[in-house]
Amino acid sequence: MDLRDSFRNATRAIWAAKMRSFLTMLGIIIGIAAVVMLMAVGNGTKQSILSRMQSSGSGNLYLTAGARSNVLMGGNPEGGAGGFAASRAGVSSGAEITAQDLTYIEARVTYSVVVSPTNQTNITIKNGNTTMSGTGIFATPTYFQVENVTIADGRMISDGDVSNRTRNVVIGNTVQTTLFPNESAVGQLIRINGASYKVVGVAASKGETVGSSVDTAIVLPFSVGEKSFGIAHNRVQRTTIECVDPTQTKVVIAEITDILTLKHKKVDFTIQDVAAMTALVTSSMTILTTLLAAIGGLSLLVGGIGIMNIMLVSVTERTREIGIRKALGARERDILVQFLIESSLLSISGGILGIVVSVLGSDFVVSRFTTTAVTGSSILLAVGFSIAVGVFFGVYPARTAARLKPVEALRYE
Amino acid sequence: MSLIAFSDIRKVYTIGAVTIDALAGVSFDIGEHEFVAIMGPSGSGKSTLMHILGCLDAPTSGAYRLEDYDVSQLRSNDLARIRNRDIGFVFQAYNLLPHLSALENVLLPCTYSTHAVSGRDEKARALELLERIGLKDRMYNRPVEMSGGEQQRVAIARALMMNPPVILADEPTGNLNSKGAREILDIMKELHADGKTIVYVTHDDTIGAEAERVIRIQDGRVVADERN
Repeated sequence: MDLRDSFRNATRAIWAAKMRSFLTMLGIIIGIAAVVMLMAVGNGTKQSILSRMQSSGSGNLYLTAGARSNVLMGGNPEGGAGGFAASRAGVSSGAEITAQDLTYIEARVTYSVVVSPTNQTNITIKNGNTTMSGTGIFATPTYFQVENVTIADGRMISDGDVSNRTRNVVIGNTVQTTLFPNESAVGQLIRINGASYKVVGVAASKGETVGSSVDTAIVLPFSVGEKSFGIAHNRVQRTTIECVDPTQTKVVIAEITDILTLKHKKVDFTIQDVAAMTALVTSSMTILTTLLAAIGGLSLLVGGIGIMNIMLVSVTERTREIGIRKALGARERDILVQFLIESSLLSISGGILGIVVSVLGSDFVVSRFTTTAVTGSSILLAVGFSIAVGVFFGVYPARTAARLKPVEALRYE
Repeated sequence: MSLIAFSDIRKVYTIGAVTIDALAGVSFDIGEHEFVAIMGPSGSGKSTLMHILGCLDAPTSGAYRLEDYDVSQLRSNDLARIRNRDIGFVFQAYNLLPHLSALENVLLPCTYSTHAVSGRDEKARALELLERIGLKDRMYNRPVEMSGGEQQRVAIARALMMNPPVILADEPTGNLNSKGAREILDIMKELHADGKTIVYVTHDDTIGAEAERVIRIQDGRVVADERN
């Protein structure tokens, strides 16, 4: 029996029991949709976390005050973005990093690094009657380099701005569109916490990054922080150290740890490695995605059992047909293939419908709540899985059919 | 040489502790182009005999030769090929597939044929057979849309599809009225005249009387083998 005949027979048999076939397929539809959608959530979350982390540069190290038992799990001290709970456990009180510490490090480090000290505080920004809240980032010109922030309009904070405590600021893209919807903000005056500042530049949009988004932030000269925003003198909350050669992060961490330990006489600070954090996130999110897929897989398993059940019913109902076909010369293989094609067709159609459901579902429904990414590999996996389910759960009923004795099958009423 | 040779065929069914000898050593030869009626009361073992003859069931012991094949030694794939090519079945209950049209039912054996014949040739032959049994205009009808006699004629066309040398008919007129039965019997006689070997199982003496030879079975044994 050639395959075309087999497929025609199978579609016919499926079509002959439309309702039953659809209900059977529904199990696979739900199973595949669950697998694909849950994987989409897992992959989407992973991608969004990774893109936030990578947007700040792979060779970046973060130096913060306070020792932590686990450097990798320490997270980001500014409040934990994207699933990174900033554990404050183990922060020794009173520890701090000062501008002198950084000067000390820069004078002694032997590798090529760029040091960018920052402080942050929440601020209120006002232009005319429009007010918004945002983050004030007090930084030096190196901030723009290490955080990959580019200037869309105007200029960045200059060394002169920092040394003269000039009230010049660079605003984020969202700040620009909120406060100056119809004109360029460059050269305009805005009010921050009541005082007047001059916009000298607008940063290009970057989306959300680790810590906070530059889009809703205002970058002010580092020195302005302690003058007008009550930040302790010389205090540095977070320092980003960019290794010019990203492969050297480990040795740079070791060297800076040695240098600073020498000065502080103890390890009361933490240096975090973005690349190591990225690797950790990648592996833990992969585990999460696999786990989610496995949960979806359970419903697929139930769908597969549904197929097996209905195929067993079908074999019993069609015992006489099997007998007739055997009397006309059908071999065991012919009967086996006929029923296997039928069960596979059920599960493949269910799988395809399930993919359609999951793509629509994750684009229009789930994406409202969380980031989703339906990847080609998850679709391939789903298709492969649905074929496998059809064959696996079809084998037993098909073998039952194929092994029926012709004379007994013919006698069946 | 004979076409069919049965020697000491036995079939024993074991149900629990009870064994039933459905066939208790049956031997006979059937030559080419014979028209043989196998007769006997119900429970005599003639159905079992028919199933073994048609390679639908295997004997418990004994030797069965069909043409050049030692059937008792063949495996299931070879038996399937024999059922496909060498034997045409006509059943009492017609056994057409209900969801297929008359034409598709006639074409069904081709789907299990191992040698390639073009689809166009197959269809031409099926139409020729339907025309021969007078049902060409009903070729797109399904079995439920036909009378019993018509269904049985379609079944005969299906049996002839692969042009087998032997036609095995198991009470083919059992479910038909006398007019329908007459038509079927006439077709059988015509096929015999064309050179087919016909083995016809029945308990109807009037039909037996029209066969060349009658083998009578009782209690799993041949009790009479006579030529008319």
